[in-house]
Amino acid sequence: MALTGLDIFKQLPKTNCKECGSPTCLAFAMAMANGKASLDMCPHASEAAKEFLGAATAPPVKTVKVGVGEQEVVMGDETVLFRHDKTFYHPTALAIQISDTLSGAELDAKIEKINGLVMDRVGQQVAIQMVAVTNCSKDAAKFKAAVEAVAAKAKFALLLAGDLAALEAAVPAVAAKKPLIHAATAENWEKVVALAKANNCPVVVKGNGLDDTAALVEKVAKEYKELVLDFGNTAQAKTLAEMVNARRLAIKKKFRPFGYPMLACTLATDAKEEVVEAATYVAKYASIICMKADEKHHLLPLMAWRMNVYTDPQKPMAVEGKVYEIGDVTPDCPVYVCTNFALTYFAVEGEVVGSKIPGYIVAVDTDGSSVLTGWASGKFVAEPIYEFVKNSGVMDKVNHNSIVIPGYVAIISGKLKEISSYNVIVGPQEAVGIPAFAKANYPQLMK
Amino acid sequence: LNGYPLKPLCKRVRLTLPAASLQDNRDDLNRLTMALKKEIKCTDIQIPLPLVRNLGEILRTAQFKVTVLLSEIGGKAEIIAIEPGHAHQPLYGIAVDIGTTTVVAYLLDLEKGRVVDTAGTHNRQARFGDDVISRIVYAVEEQDGLQTVHQSIIDTINTLIMDLLVKQRHIKETDIRVMMTAGNTTMAHLFLGINPKFIRLEPYIPTTNFYPVVKSKELGLRLHPDALVFSYPSVASYVGGDIVSGTLFTKMGNEDAPISLLIDIGTNGEMVLGAGDWLVTCSCSAGPAFEGSGITFGMRAMHGAIERLEIDPQTYEISYTTINNGKPVGICGSGLIDCLAKLRCSGVIDRAGKFQTNLPTERMRIGEAGPEFVLVWREDTDINRDIIISEADVKNLLRAKGAVFAGIRTLLNVVGFELDGIENIYVAGGFGNYLNIPDAIAIGLLPDIPVEKYKYVGNTSAKGACMALLSQEAWQEANNLAGKMTYIELSVGNLFMDEFVSSLFIPHTDLTLFPNVSL
Repeated sequence: MALTGLDIFKQLPKTNCKECGSPTCLAFAMAMANGKASLDMCPHASEAAKEFLGAATAPPVKTVKVGVGEQEVVMGDETVLFRHDKTFYHPTALAIQISDTLSGAELDAKIEKINGLVMDRVGQQVAIQMVAVTNCSKDAAKFKAAVEAVAAKAKFALLLAGDLAALEAAVPAVAAKKPLIHAATAENWEKVVALAKANNCPVVVKGNGLDDTAALVEKVAKEYKELVLDFGNTAQAKTLAEMVNARRLAIKKKFRPFGYPMLACTLATDAKEEVVEAATYVAKYASIICMKADEKHHLLPLMAWRMNVYTDPQKPMAVEGKVYEIGDVTPDCPVYVCTNFALTYFAVEGEVVGSKIPGYIVAVDTDGSSVLTGWASGKFVAEPIYEFVKNSGVMDKVNHNSIVIPGYVAIISGKLKEISSYNVIVGPQEAVGIPAFAKANYPQLMK
Repeated sequence: LNGYPLKPLCKRVRLTLPAASLQDNRDDLNRLTMALKKEIKCTDIQIPLPLVRNLGEILRTAQFKVTVLLSEIGGKAEIIAIEPGHAHQPLYGIAVDIGTTTVVAYLLDLEKGRVVDTAGTHNRQARFGDDVISRIVYAVEEQDGLQTVHQSIIDTINTLIMDLLVKQRHIKETDIRVMMTAGNTTMAHLFLGINPKFIRLEPYIPTTNFYPVVKSKELGLRLHPDALVFSYPSVASYVGGDIVSGTLFTKMGNEDAPISLLIDIGTNGEMVLGAGDWLVTCSCSAGPAFEGSGITFGMRAMHGAIERLEIDPQTYEISYTTINNGKPVGICGSGLIDCLAKLRCSGVIDRAGKFQTNLPTERMRIGEAGPEFVLVWREDTDINRDIIISEADVKNLLRAKGAVFAGIRTLLNVVGFELDGIENIYVAGGFGNYLNIPDAIAIGLLPDIPVEKYKYVGNTSAKGACMALLSQEAWQEANNLAGKMTYIELSVGNLFMDEFVSSLFIPHTDLTLFPNVSL
């Protein structure tokens, strides 16, 4: 189990000097417990503290990087088994396979296609991060040629999968791109690891199940620590169990041989089934998924899923800041303004529904704070409300010029009126007053 | 003094200096400071220029017998005045608790170390808003706003000084040579005229947590013009000197202190959890519901306020007691807590605070703002209106109590402790005096731990200010405490919000947290 803030605090100098950037030693200890600070930021830490905390606060899963520059993929450094306990940090990288049996125009077309797998989702770009060149031809020269061709054109980090001879031919040629080498096995690990070490590249250690892999990693780790684990996927359910167990051991028991990022290759042959299989691995700790599917319509749901799983859940409970239509709205309907704090929004929504008078609700984005909290912190005052209402386009949907604001912020109505030229109506203080308010003001809309 | 030695921040030292002669031809200032160093064991002595100007005359007025008035803190002394001779002169100090709503002043005799008199009044800043946020908005957005709000607290304090001096006719304005204030961070900023703008804007940063010592004439206070004015240090934007003061008073920061919790049940809802070397603190923004504000018939605990009530679970008839047995005019904080517990017990509301509108009683009805329950019929009141509690009132109270309990849970959570690890719960603030602990536990405002562990500590802000004025050690400890208290920002992360939502039920979503409550 990881150390708590108080455990770490006991080892600190308790000077409260603020030189680490935290206001107190305890605040610094809590930041360390959350992995947001490291001991070397403290100029007064004793040697004993460094020794004690160095080992105890070492991350349970090592950080391993593939690729360089913009193509760099960071893996590992995860600390929890469930995202709601803190968050998952580094999204799973999808690696699309390219066989070295392709060549010339075929190969170029394939690379083009993978380069084009970039999509927009909620204002963010999601893309493939990696290509996996596989040595299907069993020919080292062909493999080297394919790898060089891919490296020249692909916008992604590289994963090179082949036997020892193929890897020895190809790796030095693209070492500057820091590819991930696949794989060191029980038979060849000494030479593959030496190759990785010589070229400063991370390497996948591939065993057969948990025990076998752990034993192999223990041997390899003595030589080299830039490792990624592969349990030798032979059946989907088995791989799922292996990855869950390995991550549990790494985090809960600090079992060092499993303290590395994990790779899974999909087994399914049908693209749709492959995506479902990959979705399982995204949810369950895989840092890289090596797969064959390369169609946008197959990969988009997978990438959306990955984005959702790796979203930081430590955000306030909020609904999306936008215009909501309640009931069968018409251009005559009232426009209610509130904040996007979930409890606030649902209180208003419930009462608007209860009023039996359709209406628009503009949930202003206040980072999930309530009406009065938003007012207090300057997020729910005249200017931001006006900007949001204007940009939401809600006033184009109605044939009037009125908005209803919560009674508790009546104080801003004058300024809001002034800057917006809307007819600002001060509604009831409590949402529970909305039905009476609506009946009094919009009797013609009653059903 | 709570164990601290009497060593006031300001004291007089009587010195007989060796007379100047051809054999002892040191300069006058050196002669003075050498003698002083023997008396106060202080190496760093500051003396302002105006006092040096006429030093030669003063030393010789009474043949090198002088009385030096100085403040001494942590090995540093500052000379405030030098008077000829050894005549006795009175020496007073004033400790002021600057509350958002109420300001209280204590006049102290620094030589005897005792309170001479006290006076209290409303904070005149109230006309710029009831809460600190409205006052910040006023100070920042209105023309001359900061100056206006600043001046009104100075006026409030001057009024109190005048009140005290009228009552204690033998004491003169100029006999008060030192002042200590304790208040929340916003109050401290406004008192010193420091721009409070960024206190309320994310990421909520005060201009300073440690305030400079100023002379009373710079602020226009009606004390001796050279009197030193100290302000209690703060921790963060919404945890101020009043809480540091409370922490000092309860001794939670002492080396071997058990795990204790200090809660100020007020609008800001500040609390501190800790034991000796670690202290965490937060402000849960409970709102003023327990002070009666924002509740339809809420009021302060005054004549005619309902303070306890019973609801018959069969007939829904109500019996109540009021303060001074007056005819009811409203319901005060303790009455509201009792009311909430009894509404739930009798089945008028469910655990989420929803009114059961189908009850067979005329007291349950639908008002303008939704369902409401009549507590007192108009003919029995002194205001000729039915006294009711509405569903919105109940929701308001639930949010206030939920915020307090969620704050407690969040503090425990960040340090990894459980409720039963707490040894003492100190309840501070004016409201604490009226609070019925079992009632507060029944609705889930306070944790369900043995009542013996609860202790009322009253206005710890004022008590801590007095302590600091009378004891250098206490003042140093206060500064030390402010430096080591760790502020937990509740708006970061989901922890507080999850706890808050779970606390919006009576007594809580997780009933195992309240094993002794049956509702």
